[in-house]
Amino acid sequence: MSRHFGALAAVADVSMTVEAGEIRAVIGPNGAGKSTLFNVIAGALRPTTGTVIFKREALTGLPPHAICARGLSRTFQLTALFPRLTVLENVRLAAQARAPGRWRFLGGRAMRAATSREAERWLERLRLGDMVGARAGLLSHGDQRLLEIAMALAQRPELLLLDEPTQGLSVEETGRTVTLLRELLSDGRLTVLLVEHDMEVVFSLAHRITVLHQGRVIADGAPGEVKRDPAVQSAYLGGLE
Amino acid sequence: MRWLALPVLAALAAAPAILPDFLLTSLTEVLILGLFAMSLDLLVGYTGLDSFGHAAVYGLGAYTASLLLLGAGVSLPVALLAAALFTAMVAVPVGWLCTRTTGVSFAMLTLAFAQLLYAVAYKWQSVTGGSDGLAGVPRTPGPLGISWFTSRAGYYHLVAGCLVGSFLLCRAFVASPLGTTLLAIRDNERKASALGYNPRAYKIAAFVTAAFFGGLAGALYAPFAGFASPDLFFWILSGQVLVMVIIGGAGSLLGPIAGAAAFLLLEQHLSGFTDSWALVLGLIFIVFVLFVPEGLWGLVRRRPFARAALPRDIGGERAAP
Repeated sequence: MSRHFGALAAVADVSMTVEAGEIRAVIGPNGAGKSTLFNVIAGALRPTTGTVIFKREALTGLPPHAICARGLSRTFQLTALFPRLTVLENVRLAAQARAPGRWRFLGGRAMRAATSREAERWLERLRLGDMVGARAGLLSHGDQRLLEIAMALAQRPELLLLDEPTQGLSVEETGRTVTLLRELLSDGRLTVLLVEHDMEVVFSLAHRITVLHQGRVIADGAPGEVKRDPAVQSAYLGGLE
Repeated sequence: MRWLALPVLAALAAAPAILPDFLLTSLTEVLILGLFAMSLDLLVGYTGLDSFGHAAVYGLGAYTASLLLLGAGVSLPVALLAAALFTAMVAVPVGWLCTRTTGVSFAMLTLAFAQLLYAVAYKWQSVTGGSDGLAGVPRTPGPLGISWFTSRAGYYHLVAGCLVGSFLLCRAFVASPLGTTLLAIRDNERKASALGYNPRAYKIAAFVTAAFFGGLAGALYAPFAGFASPDLFFWILSGQVLVMVIIGGAGSLLGPIAGAAAFLLLEQHLSGFTDSWALVLGLIFIVFVLFVPEGLWGLVRRRPFARAALPRDIGGERAAP
């Protein structure tokens, strides 16, 4: 598919397939079209031409909430939370989003208790268990990024879209996030599409890497192959025109 | 705060025995406007929808109840319920239209609808009585011969009962799965949408619920005052109820009731002092917006020094549910 902004082709004729259970990273220098590609897949942007197909169903043109209902969850490049609500309530709302009783407008106590327990389990797994009562807006930046991942996971997606999960984190926080993600994704039940700047993160998580440059795919393969690819090396050194 | 519930309820129940007639009438009006302000709080405080046309539902409730009581001869409780339901029904298409927009456009659209209804009430002489309005709205007894609410004290008890019942319903509503989703939409609509919630549908649900309780408040007002006039739709009332919510504390349900009490108290006392009472009220409003954003309710709830501890005490701060 392609996505143009006026005369600029941010993403041009990109075709890619992500297999179930795969962790796929999309990398590329600044302005390569990673975020545009990501936003088209997540439904935040419409492609100019082409379609996004998930489990044999075209997602193009569906609003974000309908795409989410089909089993895709995303995080945002700039942290997006419910800042005035508690950490627990943030994750609980994520767990509630696909529960059948979410439309109840009175009562629903049992449902709240069940989703709260589920939220607590996810917060434990992301080592945020001792912050359940804090306001989400008051957490450190690193914890907020983890909270967003907890929210995405609490939706039990089939495909998880991570938009620069370590963006703006310190070296220690990045290491912690990578360790946690490896642990969470080790069972291979989740398919992941990851956009990331930090090469160390990419090479320690991804099974397969797609490299974008100026809106086009210039390489696609296992981490080792991609690393050795001369086109990739020159793109990162700024030589490729 | 929970321990206060019983004494407050006892005081509310005993008020007719203690208060002189004119104060009981004032208190009844406070409770009606309190219900009205509480219903707006569902939009402003819980959903982040700043409606500037909430008088529309008040007027609609009042006119519907008046027409039913004057024309159809139904009993008061039936008229109240029917008026609230009718208001909620009208709110479905209006909410559907208004929630296409957000922010200032939403405020302007709601204002436009309220003014539209004002114009209808003003011009449709044969049904609404035009600028004279509908006078002599009775408190028709029934069903089953119930008539205790026809007296001043009885009507007060009816209003107080409606307010307490509505409060309990609204409290359950905001704590329900749907209600908690409204808070999420208020905080970050894009994120709520990315989680799989359809923000528009939830906003319409909030809009209709607010219209039901606002319509009930209006329906209670007409037989209380004995008339319904086009002023009940006018933008000044929309603005006043917004002031009540903000002074009282948006997002607390009980705060706006206190806001309504404060508003009427100030209005009555200041208007005895000076003709420019609205100016003083406006200054008080500005002070609240600037320095007491959490309103009267926030002042009552806030423990001393709790605020200073906030930034450092990140992990331990328990946010309000």
